Amino acid sequence: MASVRSGQQQSGAAARASAAANGQAPGRRDGRAGRRAGGRARSGLALFIIGGILISAVFVLPLIWEIFRSLQPESTVSNPPSGASFSHLTFGNFKTLLSGQDNILRNVVNSLIVGVLTALLTAAVSTLAGYGFGLFRFRGSGLTFGLVLLAFMIPFQAVLTPLFLEMHFLHLLNSLIGLALFYTTFNLPVGVYVMRNSFLQVPREIVDAARVDGASVTKTLMSVLRPLVLPGIATAALYAFLFSWTEFLGALSFMTNDSLFTLPVALSNAETGTYGAVNYGLLLAGAVIAMIPCIVVYVGLQRFYVRGLVSGALKG
Amino acid sequence: MAATEAPGRAAAGGRAGRLRPRRRSAADRRDARAGLALTAPALLLVGVFALFPLGFGIYISLTNWPLVGAYHFIGLSNYSSLIHNSVFLQSILFTLKYTAIVTIPIFVVGYALAVFVRSNRRGTTLFRTLIFLPYIVGLVAESFMAVVELQPNSGTANFVLSKLGLASETTAWTVHTGLATTAICILVIWFASGLTMMLLMAGMQGIPTDLYESARVDGASWWGAERRITLPLLRRSIALSLIISVVGSFLAFNQFFIITDGGPGTSTESVVMAIYQTAFADTDVGLASAMSVVLVIVVGLITFIQFHYLQRDSD
Repeated sequence: MASVRSGQQQSGAAARASAAANGQAPGRRDGRAGRRAGGRARSGLALFIIGGILISAVFVLPLIWEIFRSLQPESTVSNPPSGASFSHLTFGNFKTLLSGQDNILRNVVNSLIVGVLTALLTAAVSTLAGYGFGLFRFRGSGLTFGLVLLAFMIPFQAVLTPLFLEMHFLHLLNSLIGLALFYTTFNLPVGVYVMRNSFLQVPREIVDAARVDGASVTKTLMSVLRPLVLPGIATAALYAFLFSWTEFLGALSFMTNDSLFTLPVALSNAETGTYGAVNYGLLLAGAVIAMIPCIVVYVGLQRFYVRGLVSGALKG
Repeated sequence: MAATEAPGRAAAGGRAGRLRPRRRSAADRRDARAGLALTAPALLLVGVFALFPLGFGIYISLTNWPLVGAYHFIGLSNYSSLIHNSVFLQSILFTLKYTAIVTIPIFVVGYALAVFVRSNRRGTTLFRTLIFLPYIVGLVAESFMAVVELQPNSGTANFVLSKLGLASETTAWTVHTGLATTAICILVIWFASGLTMMLLMAGMQGIPTDLYESARVDGASWWGAERRITLPLLRRSIALSLIISVVGSFLAFNQFFIITDGGPGTSTESVVMAIYQTAFADTDVGLASAMSVVLVIVVGLITFIQFHYLQRDSD
């Protein structure tokens, strides 16, 4: 019931967005009034842009500032700041982190492996389930769908302890695959929801035509439907990757072998001085390394991310 | 949900109903088999990694399960001991206080930002992206940055604040309960406002523009239109963004673990941190599971109450 309304909202938003994109600005009057309105609109636009730049700065400047800070040598980062703080920028912190004795390259690779695996698994499992829930009638489909969405209501933070024991029995502790399976599960509610909606939006005639042509269930998915639901797949994979890349508590609990730590866990060890004295320059550089892929992936694929938000992916 | 499914289902059901009133056709059976097979992997994962642990957790909470070794049933003792467990009670109080502090600012800032970026004017997309970046980067990386910048004598926070005369160069943010909580709250408001903005903006864009036009014709002020059109029609999005933000605050872990490690003492220990410490530092898995069960119930209640309270008037 709930999602019906969000569906309507979504189509309303889409219609409005496309109307705006076509340049159908509402209420354009002609003549002198129009010109005066145009002048006011232009100064309004200038105000809007200046305001936008100032507001954006509040959210982005701290991140840019940290990138500069990570390029300062350790001695500058941990001493009182002075005017000369930015006169000497260097990649020294990054070099030490990625090639030194206690390098975190392995942890970056671990994070990448888990992130990519989580994205692929979430995309695959969500696509199959979305296909099943969207286009097939079977007994218990409502119950099954409800159970999958229930994972959204169970905070993973609250099942961490029993899950730790269970993963111990299953030999999935200290396993990158085990961590990816755990991440995949808690990305499924969003993924399955997005994919089910994607398949429901496929025109019924296309599905029926494929069936009349005698295409099998698999063939219909792979050759007829795949291109139509590809944006949904991208949305599911993107959410899963970002979740996995930034997750901390699960990785901290399920990984005890430092060679298998993901990047955030390795940084947390560096912060508490497990590897000797705390080096704030290195910590900042590590945090910047953790930040960059998120920004690159998000800026590149944001239309898929926003699509997920708008379609009510989070509305369980 | 039912209605979104309706077209496909009604068509399929209607066809099968007319042609084969009693027996299910071969195609229907094939559909049923395929549907089950396609959804099985998802159900298996959710069963193994979410539903089973939930049941297992309830079971463990009735025992004195240590991390290693034998265990036996102790009934509800874990739960009754929670009432006197000062660390747990303090973590609940602290988490409630923290949630109460950050929720309204996140909502107000998020709402204002949504109003700002909801138009389709030039540049809006860029502003949205930039404002949303702190949320995308994630609280973990940002908490590490905060640790460095909150250091006395070398951090940027003190440098800027002392120039403004608001703090001294030597203010030690992370070792005072009040200062640490303040710093973390500011960090979280900065981090989370972008998500509220996106959710509310999506809802605002679904409101038909002609409603605003007729309000303007009727001579309604900007705030009047906002109050009588936007707020009532936005109830669902508001409920959703509040639920996400309140539940998120209640499950907070990363920022406290990284920036204060719960200190000084256990004064900034959140509920999830208390569970984590009980399970992995004190290795009292039974007690930790009882805490987790309480957490699931509390989070469920918060969701339920907020959803119903905010839904009621709109229906």
